[in-house]
Amino acid sequence: MAKKLPPFLKKLSYFGKSENMTDHATIAPDDRDAEKVYRRRWQHDKVVRTTHGVNCTGSCSWKVHVKDGIITWETQQTDYPTTGPDMPEYEPRGCPRGATFSWYTYSPVRIRYPYVRSALIELWREAFKEHKDPVNAWKSIVSNPEKAERYKAARGKGGFVRSSWDELNTLISASLIHTIQEYGPDRIFGFSPIPAMSMVSYAGGARFLNLIGAPLLSFYDWYADLPPASPQIWGEQTDVPESSDWYNSSYLIVWGSNLPQTRTPDSHFYVEARYRGAKVVAVSPDYAEFVKFADKWLPVQAGMDGAIAMAMTHVILKEFYVDQQVDYFNDYVKKYTDLPYLLLLKKNGDFYQGDKFLRASDIGRQTENSEWKTVVLDQSSNDFAVPNGSIGHRWENNQSWNLHMKDTDNQLDGIEPVLTLKGMEDEVVMAGFPFFGPDKKEILKRGVPVKKITKDGEEMYVTTVFDMLLANCGVNRGLAGDYPEDYDDLQPYTPAWQESISGVSRQDCAQIAREFAQNAIDSKGRSMIIMGSGINHWYHSDMIYRAILNLVLLTGCQGVNGGGWAHYVGQEKVRPLEGWQTVAMARDWGGPPRLQNGTSFFYFASEQWRYDNQTSDELISPLVDKPTYQHPGDYNVLSARLGWLPSYPQFNDNSIKIAEKTGKSDKDAIIKDVVQQLKEGKLKFAIENPEDPKNFPKVLFVWRANLIGSSAKGHEYFLKHLLGTHHGNLSEQNEEELTKEISWVQDVPEGKLDLMIDYDFRMCGTGLYSDIILPSATWYEKYDVSSTDMHPFIHPFNPAITPPWEAKSDWDAFKNLAKTFSEMAERYFTEPVTDLVATPLLHDSRDEISQSYGKIPDWKNGDIKPQPGVNLPRLHLVERDLTKVYDKFIALGSNVKESIGSKGIGWEAAKEYEKLKAINGTASQTKDYKDLPSLYTDRNAAETILTLSSTTNGSLAMKAWDALEKKTGLELKDLAEERAEEHMSFAEITAQPRKVISSPVFSGSETGNRRYNPFTTNVERLVPWRTLTGRQHFYMDHDLMIEFGEELPNFKAPLHKLAFYRGDHEPAAKGNEITLSYLTPHYKWSYHSTYGDTLPMLTLFRGGPHVWLNNEDAASVGIEDNDWIEMYNRNGVVVARAVVSHRMPKGIVFMYHVQERYINVPGSPITKQRGGTFNSPTRIHIKPTQMIGGYAQLSYGFNYYGPTGNQRDEKVVIRKMNRDEVEWLED
Amino acid sequence: MSSLDLFLWVIFPYICLTVFVLGHIYRYHTDQFGWSAKSSQFLEKKKLKWGSILFHWGIIFVFFGHVAGVLVPKIIYDKIGITDHMYHFGAVWFGGAAGVICVVGGALLFMRRASVKRIRVNSTFKDWLSLVLLGIVVIVGFTNTVGYTASGGDFDYRTTIGPWFRGIMTFNPEPAYMIGAPIGFQAHILLAFALFAVWPFTRLVHVWSLPLEYLKRRYLVYRRMGPVQNVSKRIKP
Repeated sequence: MAKKLPPFLKKLSYFGKSENMTDHATIAPDDRDAEKVYRRRWQHDKVVRTTHGVNCTGSCSWKVHVKDGIITWETQQTDYPTTGPDMPEYEPRGCPRGATFSWYTYSPVRIRYPYVRSALIELWREAFKEHKDPVNAWKSIVSNPEKAERYKAARGKGGFVRSSWDELNTLISASLIHTIQEYGPDRIFGFSPIPAMSMVSYAGGARFLNLIGAPLLSFYDWYADLPPASPQIWGEQTDVPESSDWYNSSYLIVWGSNLPQTRTPDSHFYVEARYRGAKVVAVSPDYAEFVKFADKWLPVQAGMDGAIAMAMTHVILKEFYVDQQVDYFNDYVKKYTDLPYLLLLKKNGDFYQGDKFLRASDIGRQTENSEWKTVVLDQSSNDFAVPNGSIGHRWENNQSWNLHMKDTDNQLDGIEPVLTLKGMEDEVVMAGFPFFGPDKKEILKRGVPVKKITKDGEEMYVTTVFDMLLANCGVNRGLAGDYPEDYDDLQPYTPAWQESISGVSRQDCAQIAREFAQNAIDSKGRSMIIMGSGINHWYHSDMIYRAILNLVLLTGCQGVNGGGWAHYVGQEKVRPLEGWQTVAMARDWGGPPRLQNGTSFFYFASEQWRYDNQTSDELISPLVDKPTYQHPGDYNVLSARLGWLPSYPQFNDNSIKIAEKTGKSDKDAIIKDVVQQLKEGKLKFAIENPEDPKNFPKVLFVWRANLIGSSAKGHEYFLKHLLGTHHGNLSEQNEEELTKEISWVQDVPEGKLDLMIDYDFRMCGTGLYSDIILPSATWYEKYDVSSTDMHPFIHPFNPAITPPWEAKSDWDAFKNLAKTFSEMAERYFTEPVTDLVATPLLHDSRDEISQSYGKIPDWKNGDIKPQPGVNLPRLHLVERDLTKVYDKFIALGSNVKESIGSKGIGWEAAKEYEKLKAINGTASQTKDYKDLPSLYTDRNAAETILTLSSTTNGSLAMKAWDALEKKTGLELKDLAEERAEEHMSFAEITAQPRKVISSPVFSGSETGNRRYNPFTTNVERLVPWRTLTGRQHFYMDHDLMIEFGEELPNFKAPLHKLAFYRGDHEPAAKGNEITLSYLTPHYKWSYHSTYGDTLPMLTLFRGGPHVWLNNEDAASVGIEDNDWIEMYNRNGVVVARAVVSHRMPKGIVFMYHVQERYINVPGSPITKQRGGTFNSPTRIHIKPTQMIGGYAQLSYGFNYYGPTGNQRDEKVVIRKMNRDEVEWLED
Repeated sequence: MSSLDLFLWVIFPYICLTVFVLGHIYRYHTDQFGWSAKSSQFLEKKKLKWGSILFHWGIIFVFFGHVAGVLVPKIIYDKIGITDHMYHFGAVWFGGAAGVICVVGGALLFMRRASVKRIRVNSTFKDWLSLVLLGIVVIVGFTNTVGYTASGGDFDYRTTIGPWFRGIMTFNPEPAYMIGAPIGFQAHILLAFALFAVWPFTRLVHVWSLPLEYLKRRYLVYRRMGPVQNVSKRIKP
């Protein structure tokens, strides 16, 4: 290389060397080194494939560019496997949020070191010096009320000081050991959401907690993103099309889902479907971004969506089931839905009402599980038939669990179910239907055709679900009763009726219903409804969903590519499910894990139940005299003791001491003794006494989550009761005892948690309120795996840099904690402990057929005996060697060899287990498990997940289909045969994202590069749905469903809520105020891949908290755009700027999701504290029908069923703040 | 002649000039990217318009005044028949006017930097140093012109300071010329040399970037790719 001249000499060397070309042009002698500055700006040393974690369902693969060891920027990956000819591609994917993530790496909000609040660490160091023993030291702090209050009241007030991982791991382990010794491991909780988008990181914390017996909290239902209608109808948590399948649709209704804003990388398919000719209808109260794309906008009154759907159902039934017969529809509903199934009617005064499904046992067909086999009327034999595929067949194991129109038990073939009894009825009887008007409840009495049967010597009436549905929807077939005359009749559920409620014109409603159905006929089911959080976060969201889903079921669209429902609300898909479950739930070492439904936990832990004035009287069916209970919390207690929902903390005694205390050694004898204690009330469920300090949750781990700042619905209740610190709550607890099952103590406990530990890379609301915050690696600094249901690919996280400062990956952080914990445990747990674990009756296990007929076999009062696994949680005795937690954490247990599986089927994985030893090496760091496969690193965990899952390992896919073949008697293996040899390694998915293999773990087929749509395997291959009838359900016959009038799809309006109730601390009115409905939809510039504190995003809109309201609403109280406002109700207070816009309808206010209180939030004149978060004005309302369990598809599964933490049915008061009231509290 | 005089009028000026020359080369060598006037026009325009224009035109005339008064020997004026009276008239009135413009402009710039918050927060120590030092040099010099010469002082810098400065420039220093000069002139000179010493390290380097070549340059300028050492070979026929 030539020697470089110093710049000054170089400059001098140019003199006189210009070469003139023309009169106006010259060649200068100067070099072009200056350009290097600009060229170097975009040079980099390496590009790393990684993605964004936690809960963005986009799951876009990114290139992260590294220069001089510094993460500089990210760009989109473009190498997704093709969707095939004639389809738009997935490439490229990404959005502005993801593109700014690298800001976090070196940002001021980055957590660089382990921190602990000084109030706590001073106590700890002092106690440690005094006691010399960490566990005693911890005990001396938490058992001293003065000391405990000192550090608890300091939460959320700053005061963090730097500590070390070692010191804090010791402190945490001391608190864990103390809690296990004194109260039991079920007082320790972990919260982390949405594993799919960084499953190894989720598994890190989960594996540690499961090994010590601590419960994990669910998130999907707690976030109110779970649509309970999905388990109700399909027995499936959520299964939706990948976004490219939108393109296959020719009629799209987009209902409360803001695709371009919240599904940015996918929304191009929405546009492309239009280019291809699909008609698009948007349903939304505001002029949202997705409405711009629509051919037709139905501007619905917020929360009244169910009315439109019910009227559309009415139109479709009338025009396509009564006025004409459509073969496609008739065939579909007879084969794939419960519409032809027979229902018993029961007498209610002078009319009848729908009761239970008719069972084989009711008609004297005594076969195995006959109480769980539902019955149709067969046209060809003119007799009853019990079609294969019901849940009774499922657990019979004689290969009769399939959708063949056969009755294997009674040797009937070619069953032709009767859809309606009209024309062949014995009688027409008057049936009563519950109607929930926006203002009052009524009984609609409408005639239905029935047949007479004799059951137990008694004459009974039966009719079909279809006939009940027609009557319920008011479709006039010339039968007697309150049937509407025509569409303009104001009786429910006509288009005119819905117009009076939703504000959408009757013509539009009828026209779109008609077009939707006609398109389904013309395209064989390619009508699709994309639905979202706009309709899913309501108290009665399940009823809204069921009403809407009528449309896709009645038109034969479900299970067809380009058709059916498409629910996109915080949904996720852990595609390598079995491998992930094995690692995360530590199933390789036995179990069972304690998996707690989040909503129930937080409802009691944050004491929100005390303030709940929602009585069941307002909610029950008008056909029912009185509810089982008035208070929703009581239903939860019932649910816990019947084994419907999990309930941790479990009992009012330490679960590791219960077995020992019985003095018995035989397992069965111990369990028998425990059952007896429960029956006699000697041992109680902890949920009955949430105010008792020994039933408090003691330690809470939060990782990959912003529990306090983002998902604490009822934020101020969390601060007050769970954390015991300053809060802005204005409500007063209920005056008198409303509850029957929960013991009422006037003194409300505050500061229940002893220790809250947060693992995060940024200082957000959760960190600010935690006692300890530990620095996590960001998504660009670790190995992990990501998948989603928006696309069919699986792709990795890779570290672009090693975690800087003292940050650690979640896997390493929990591994190190496990090490400290195990070492300390050697001193305190010299012997293994016997832990009594109670688990609910699980969906996809035989326990789902334990409470027959959907009755409530309560053993508390009366003659019914409690039986574990039948009407009591299942009781297990689990041996835990707490000194081996670390060794087990880093070694893969051999249980995997014999059995792995999901969704009720299992298979072996011996060969794959052996292979893992070669891939990962063995756990040489352990004492006893040296020849087991290693899980030492996050990358080992990722390889294990990929190797043990049927979607990523062809050999397991073949075994899985084989297992399902054996169960159903169907031929299915061909679905995976084309990819039987494939096994995706971590290196392979790093080279390029890979499309997953078809597996029975999911309900749709991807065979032959097909686009994923749920239930296509059910429809095409006749695999039953995991429901009572094995078909898609319109009707729910559980006692509680009938109690609340939800046996059929119905209309239910939002709850009637006031901003304040009598006794609350309502602030005196100052000037003009307006009361509005409070909604919290997703924001454009902050969620999931980046958050509201990202500087690049903050610069894009107002840079601080803001709420949107209508221009006329604003003018009525003198608010102008950008004014500061105070917004409050009994739950809490928000201070924000007003965004005044005519795109908002009157009567509602938006505060976009996750606006926290730490950026640009001034003080509130009411509370004299800083204004609250977007969740300050919210609290949750729990719904009893979502607590049902032990009954077919209505059985518990983690994140599958359970009450949602819905927070939408709230009112807030808004007033303008003058400039001089804006106080920044900075002195 | 004391050793202090020797230091002040020989050693100190040479130190400053050495720093001035080597400092520029050093700066040019290491910090071409920062070689800039560091314009703050982006942050504030209205005050800058008046301050900058007045100051820069003022300082340019002041510079030529110094050339005329210090670099040009008195004998040349005598030769071409410019009398002392004529010279003084020009120096006081034209020099004074330039000084007024320069001082007013500088004051405006100073006020601007001190009072506009966004300029203030974007100012470094060196910005303040060069502005304040330059300001003091200008004010002291202006005071000499207005307060001493114009009000009848009989000190003639053309026979003292001029030869001394030319001596410095020609490496033939004669410090004796400076002994006995009024204190104001001495202060002006010493401060000016101090300014020369900090000059290369401040935004003042932009003086050398005055784009005089624009006056004669062709307006389309190409540069060749490739190593610079080949340029001379290639363009030579």
